[in-house]
Amino acid sequence: MADLWWASMGELARLVATKAVSPVEVVRAHLDRIAALDGRLKAYITVMGDSALGAARAAESAVMAREALGPLHGVPVGLKDLYCTRGVKTTSGSRILGNWVPTEDATVVTRLIAAGAIVLGKLNMHEFAYGPEGLNAHYGDAWNPWDRATHRICGGSSSGSGAAVAAGICPGALGSDTGGSIRIPSSLCGLTGIKPTYGRVSRAGVLPLAWSLDHVGPMCRSAADCALMLGAMAGPDPRDPSASAVPVPHYVAALTGQVRGLRVGLLPSFVESAGAPQRQALGQAVKALEGLGASVRDVTLDQMKYAAGAAAAVISAESYAYHEGWLKTRAADYGPDTRQRLLVGAFVSGTDYLRGQRVRGLIRDEMDRALAEVDVLIAPTVPIAATPVGAREVTIDGRPQPVRPSLVRYTRPFNVSGHPAASVPCGFTAEGLPIGMQVIGRAFDEATVLRVADAYQRVTDWHTRRPPLDR
Amino acid sequence: MTERSLALPLTKDALRSLAEAQGLALTDPELDGLLPLVQAGRALMAELAAAPLGEAEPTVLFHMR
Repeated sequence: MADLWWASMGELARLVATKAVSPVEVVRAHLDRIAALDGRLKAYITVMGDSALGAARAAESAVMAREALGPLHGVPVGLKDLYCTRGVKTTSGSRILGNWVPTEDATVVTRLIAAGAIVLGKLNMHEFAYGPEGLNAHYGDAWNPWDRATHRICGGSSSGSGAAVAAGICPGALGSDTGGSIRIPSSLCGLTGIKPTYGRVSRAGVLPLAWSLDHVGPMCRSAADCALMLGAMAGPDPRDPSASAVPVPHYVAALTGQVRGLRVGLLPSFVESAGAPQRQALGQAVKALEGLGASVRDVTLDQMKYAAGAAAAVISAESYAYHEGWLKTRAADYGPDTRQRLLVGAFVSGTDYLRGQRVRGLIRDEMDRALAEVDVLIAPTVPIAATPVGAREVTIDGRPQPVRPSLVRYTRPFNVSGHPAASVPCGFTAEGLPIGMQVIGRAFDEATVLRVADAYQRVTDWHTRRPPLDR
Repeated sequence: MTERSLALPLTKDALRSLAEAQGLALTDPELDGLLPLVQAGRALMAELAAAPLGEAEPTVLFHMR
């Protein structure tokens, strides 16, 4: 079967379950494509070829024996290299942990494997997840597949996940999101990714950046695949005290295609500061949602102006607390940029940190009030498109802006508030670079976020377009 | 006027002293690179002093299991 690497996760699961293809065939197709493309893309840090083929053969035997199959049976996945994998090195994109081999899997890895998924490998990322560009001084800078000529960032920190799924060298991947690290690479690589509600998915066995801001979630080529993956991952976990016991709905069943009567809140302050292509794409998306029967109105969030300060206090203090020992004993093993950013946390006081955590409550409460009046909020995911690697400044409407704060400006507030937020492809720039729309929902209502994203994808084709790798 | 704006501006020497007090021996180039980042972070955090916090408690609390 041709182009197995472009099949959706749902399609692959169906093909495997009906014996139309063997999981071995699926895994081999992806491994062959990794071998052909990843020398340049640098999406993978570790390719688990032998174990993936072994798991595929076992999956094939299960199909032939008519065993009960999980929803992801025989479907390959990639893991950002901060998910602990038993017996397989887990670097967090660092030299510090360059040879560290965990003795157990992260809870989400265990759950994906239990659902039948086959792990293809560990994916590149910004060192210790601390950077929205997704660059890596130790393992190379992942290449955004949407531009063959210019080495552009994938967005980060889950840059390898973005590059791999966009390039068809894995159909879906785990990212993690502390300030936008699922949604930014999803936007810049033309993917659909969701940061679930804080507590919806266990963080046990996930190397932290900032414990109270870290979120675990999937990055795929459609909302339907995100629903499939999230359903296999979500739910309480005794290994993670922050994991919630709120019941997990059937996310795939929630994808009805219907948004008639849905109330959508548009965040004008996010739209106004975005680049012209992003504003235009979001305007078209609003029309598409209205065409589906949703009503769209402006929503203002006054407390959002504090989100950057609260995030700065919390992420700096928590990340420094985790890294303090290594910063004092192995400073030279960090990339210079990561080391410098982590050191900032040494100068955040306890009062600053707690004020940041108090402000988070204000922002969360305001979001809850806004989402009592509308069902979801929408905004651009990122105000810019993928920049060339090394660019520190970008121009938005003729005004020079620093790249790094621009990348996180629209995503970070929802790490601060903890609400679920997805990024969905909604257009392309004139240069052919993807643009993303953010859909934000009520706490623990990922089902509505995914329903909106899926309904939008049923009437648009942005998510079906592929980068120019095979031409 | 915020609490932070009443504080003295952070200088390279002050940053060096703060770092040394925490057991961090940073070189001059490291301090040069770090200073604007710390200043930017402090400016962002200073804005939080204006937030209407009232009796709001921190969102990270100790829980018994």
